[in-house]
Amino acid sequence: MSAAQKNADDPFDDYVATKSWDSSLLRRLLRFVRPHAGLFVKSFVVLSVLFALDLVGPWLWKRAIDGPVSAAVAARATADATGTVADIAPFMSQFWMWMGVYVGVVLFSIWFRYLEVAQLNRTGQVVISDLRTKLFAHIQSLDLSFFDKRPTGSLVTRVTSDVENLNEMFTSGIIVLLFDLVKVVALLAILFTLDAQLAAVVLAGTPVLIGISIAFRGGARNAHRAVRARLSRLNGYLQEVLQGIRVVQVFRRERQVSQRFADHLAGYLKANLRTIFLFALFFPAIDLAVTLIQSSTLWIGGIGIAQGELTYGEFVQFWFYVAMLVSPIRELGERYNVLQSAFASSERIFQVLDTRSAVADGDRRLDRSLAGHVRFENVSFSYDGTVEVLTDVSFEIKPGHTIAVVGATGGGKSTIVNLLLRFYDPTRGRITLDGVDLRELDLAELRRNFGLVLQEDFLFAGTIHENLVMDRLEITDEALEEALEASRADEVIARLPAGLASPVAERGATFSTGERQLLAIARALAGSPKIVILDEATASVDSGTEAKIEAATRQLLLGKSALVVAHRLSTVRRADQILVMHKGRLRERGTHDELIAQSGIYARLHEMQFAPSA
Amino acid sequence: MAILWRFFGRFLRHKRALIAGFLAIPLGTLGDVAITVQIGNALDRLKVGSTTEFLAGVVAIIMGLALVRGIFRFCQRWWIVAVSRYVENELKQELFDKLVSLPFSFHARSRSGDVVSRVTSDVENIRMFLGPGMMYTAGAVIMIPVSLGLLLSLNAPLAATMVLPMILMGLGMKVFTPKLHVISMAVQESLADIGHRAQENFAGIRVVKGYGREGQQIAKFESASNKNRENQIKLGRFRGLTSAITHAANDFTFVVILVVGGLAMIDRTLPAGDLFKFIDLTFKVFWPIIAVGWIAGMYPRALASAQRIDELRAEPIDIEDSASPVALPHVRGALSLRDVSFTYPGTTKPALDGITFDVPAGGVVGIVGPTGSGKTTLLLLLGRLFEVTNGTITLDGVPVRDLSLSTLRGALGYVPQDSFLFSEPYRDNVSFGVEGSLTDERLNEVIAEACMTDEVARFPNGLDQLIGERGVTLSGGQRQRTCIARALAKEPRILVLDDALSAVDTETETKLIDNLHQAGQARTVVIAAHRLSSVARADRIVVLGRDGRIEASGKHKDLLAREGWYRDTWTRQQAQDELSVL
Repeated sequence: MSAAQKNADDPFDDYVATKSWDSSLLRRLLRFVRPHAGLFVKSFVVLSVLFALDLVGPWLWKRAIDGPVSAAVAARATADATGTVADIAPFMSQFWMWMGVYVGVVLFSIWFRYLEVAQLNRTGQVVISDLRTKLFAHIQSLDLSFFDKRPTGSLVTRVTSDVENLNEMFTSGIIVLLFDLVKVVALLAILFTLDAQLAAVVLAGTPVLIGISIAFRGGARNAHRAVRARLSRLNGYLQEVLQGIRVVQVFRRERQVSQRFADHLAGYLKANLRTIFLFALFFPAIDLAVTLIQSSTLWIGGIGIAQGELTYGEFVQFWFYVAMLVSPIRELGERYNVLQSAFASSERIFQVLDTRSAVADGDRRLDRSLAGHVRFENVSFSYDGTVEVLTDVSFEIKPGHTIAVVGATGGGKSTIVNLLLRFYDPTRGRITLDGVDLRELDLAELRRNFGLVLQEDFLFAGTIHENLVMDRLEITDEALEEALEASRADEVIARLPAGLASPVAERGATFSTGERQLLAIARALAGSPKIVILDEATASVDSGTEAKIEAATRQLLLGKSALVVAHRLSTVRRADQILVMHKGRLRERGTHDELIAQSGIYARLHEMQFAPSA
Repeated sequence: MAILWRFFGRFLRHKRALIAGFLAIPLGTLGDVAITVQIGNALDRLKVGSTTEFLAGVVAIIMGLALVRGIFRFCQRWWIVAVSRYVENELKQELFDKLVSLPFSFHARSRSGDVVSRVTSDVENIRMFLGPGMMYTAGAVIMIPVSLGLLLSLNAPLAATMVLPMILMGLGMKVFTPKLHVISMAVQESLADIGHRAQENFAGIRVVKGYGREGQQIAKFESASNKNRENQIKLGRFRGLTSAITHAANDFTFVVILVVGGLAMIDRTLPAGDLFKFIDLTFKVFWPIIAVGWIAGMYPRALASAQRIDELRAEPIDIEDSASPVALPHVRGALSLRDVSFTYPGTTKPALDGITFDVPAGGVVGIVGPTGSGKTTLLLLLGRLFEVTNGTITLDGVPVRDLSLSTLRGALGYVPQDSFLFSEPYRDNVSFGVEGSLTDERLNEVIAEACMTDEVARFPNGLDQLIGERGVTLSGGQRQRTCIARALAKEPRILVLDDALSAVDTETETKLIDNLHQAGQARTVVIAAHRLSSVARADRIVVLGRDGRIEASGKHKDLLAREGWYRDTWTRQQAQDELSVL
């Protein structure tokens, strides 16, 4: 389970930001909003116009009923009494005029209803798309220790679900919440101008509504959290049993795990029933409170009508406005919960944005005529600050020389590669390139000079061509072709229907291990690097491919400074010098024959790695 | 739909609550409509003078009705939704029980994510559709005709015209919903694309950085992000349209009521109170209509889920006790394999081919060979987790196929390669294979035999220590030793270890093997191992080749005397051991 999933599932983990209102977070979020302030202003304008239009409808009801309708009814009543026929034509034309206005308002508000959703959504999307790219770019700038500490899945969650949660904040969270407050206040004010006595009744009832809504929100959140926690345990147990199904079956524990699952289900059901109970209570409770407000309105309003102080039209208008007042209050709790989950997500996002890279970029540019002279001077390194994985290592790669690093697992071979690439900086000592400390150099520039073939080499989604060129503009088609030929990867390309334009499946699944290695070598060759860093793959390939890889490797190393983490005997034999790493220290160095003669660590390694049928 | 009705049959098992819940719906609805009628009637009966007493009576009736409505609404939700949760649990339990009894070959070929989603989200889809979905539908099915019938009796022309906007809305939504579906699919795809890009980048960050490709990666990510933004904005426009359509229908219904109702009032055929009833019932009828549309949208998903669940329920259990299973009262533990072959379903190359060897009761046999030579498969065949393709395996002379599963597996103590443990208390893990519980004394005995005494003593909560994510994390070696303790606890006649000592240090390994040999005086032990030192003292060692055949077999001495994989590997591993102490 990734850390992020845990955050969502574990009730005790999402206390990151349960503060109901975090103004410093909000201020930071606003910084991302500022460039799009125009969109926000537009959103507010749309909401305001829509609100105004919504207010017009009930007002028209009052005008129509109290105006032409009542007048026509009264005229007819008078006419009946006098036995004449009433002329209601002027009232009718007035009535139709009001109806025309009503239709116009409704048509107009259709347009704004569309804009309300589209505009708010657009605003949210523009902001979060921006934020997402910034977040991704920031993650790109971080050093490898950042990635070491976090599971990939949890980082992916940062740029996907957490960012999407923020969208909710903009589309149904903060803007709408703020505007709902405006609506409630405005409606109450309007009610007062219509009829102070009636409004006082509604005002007295409003806190009850808000109280129910807020009390429910707290309960519902805890209940939901309990359900999520129970569900995550239930699903966790299910996954665990599936994973260990052979143990369950061999031990004949089917009945027992079934009982355990039933226990988990019972806990989950109990939590669910509590939620159902709360919801079953909430809706009728709110409805009861609304009916209480409504019947009070009827009481006060009815007396008013009977005494001629209030018209039917005014009563209807009032009724409409009360309905408009209730709906935002009913949704208050839900909006609040959206806001909170968005706060939790933004907190996690800002945690990443606040992380600074431990590997600082230097500003020195490299000379065009780089010689490729690398020196490790008393380099020590520790990943976690306590256990040293590299202790006092010194060696040099003279221009054009190949250095092979060998050793058992955990000897420190890959750490040397990581340090030379400046994925990390040494804890002590220094590494120089042509006499300049790596830390002073421009990072991108430094890495551009390396031709890199990594063991976990990896093809990205895209075409073969994109993968080989990797956006290095200086690589011409001829250079690429030469590289493919030299590495014999051209044969791999030839079997593909679309050649270089063929797409690569996820993680290069289209290719065998051997083919991926050939392509990686071609990729490195194409950039005609000054320095080659090669981490030979250990996976076994058939002998035909093995011969091709060997030949390609020879081509790659020809005339370049090279650091090779070697797993092939042929590579080791050809190296100018072999470094034997053991438990973080450089224990032996020399050529193959010299080291064999020493019959030390290397001799044993040789026996292990290169003995027949290994 | 038939298939979903069958699932609804499960709801009927909770007859009483379900019927009560569905009865509450019309009662609550009637209460709701009655409130509107009361207010409407009151508005027409207002008289100067007696108003206060009259209104007090009306308000009392309304509040009474509201209370009754509230109680029925509570009951409706409480009973129906609760039943849906009970059904969910029963279905989950049934699927779980099915899953644990499905043969291992099913689990080997299916992706666990897919299986889990059948038990989780597929069940949830059905519950939503048949539980709350049915409840809302029933609510609408009652509310709409009752309200319309009432309004028709008040003023037929008005009631007939006011439904026009709603019908138009229904038609409009029917046109838009498929398009909405297409665009939300596009949004989902572009979101998945963002996820993939991020995943690919973060997992391959060394290559990205090594080649200085950050800039290019950012540009690619940005374009994926922007594509999603554009899709989302498009989706937002469609959502805006559907929202506009819904609200337009609502607004126009009110326009119709005012126009037609106003004219009727002028003609004095519609009292003000009745006009009010039209207004208030429109408020009450509108959202049930929307809900029905929403539930109709859930139908295809619920149907697909029902089919997926039925698929799982139909999965055959093909490893079962034979018609007349042989139960051995006392297992001695003599194993014999005759020309055993096994080919994984869907492959052609046999994983094991012509394996023949015997292990006498109380004997110790080692199984070794390179990765992929079939060691694990061989051990799984012993427990009949897979059925052999050819040949026979017998236990005490009886083919395992004829033995009752409880005799066969009851005799087996199995230590899996992945050292699987449950995230449960340590005690429960060790006594997992035992009926009932073990005394602390017996627990400590097997823990000592598995060389875990010191570690367990250091647990903050001793034997009750929770292990796994929420408790202490055990190292690979500790897990392996715990698995051994678990297997020993059930006092098996045959102990099967699948590379179960690989993470244990050499010294402990020696001690452990001593213990196993001692305790195993009368116990048959089968050890598959990568590290040859684990099997060096076995009575017999079987070397499997990459082709799944027996390459050589014999005692350690004999194998070492011969050229071949065993000797090469032994030499290499010895060098490795020497190296580690340098």
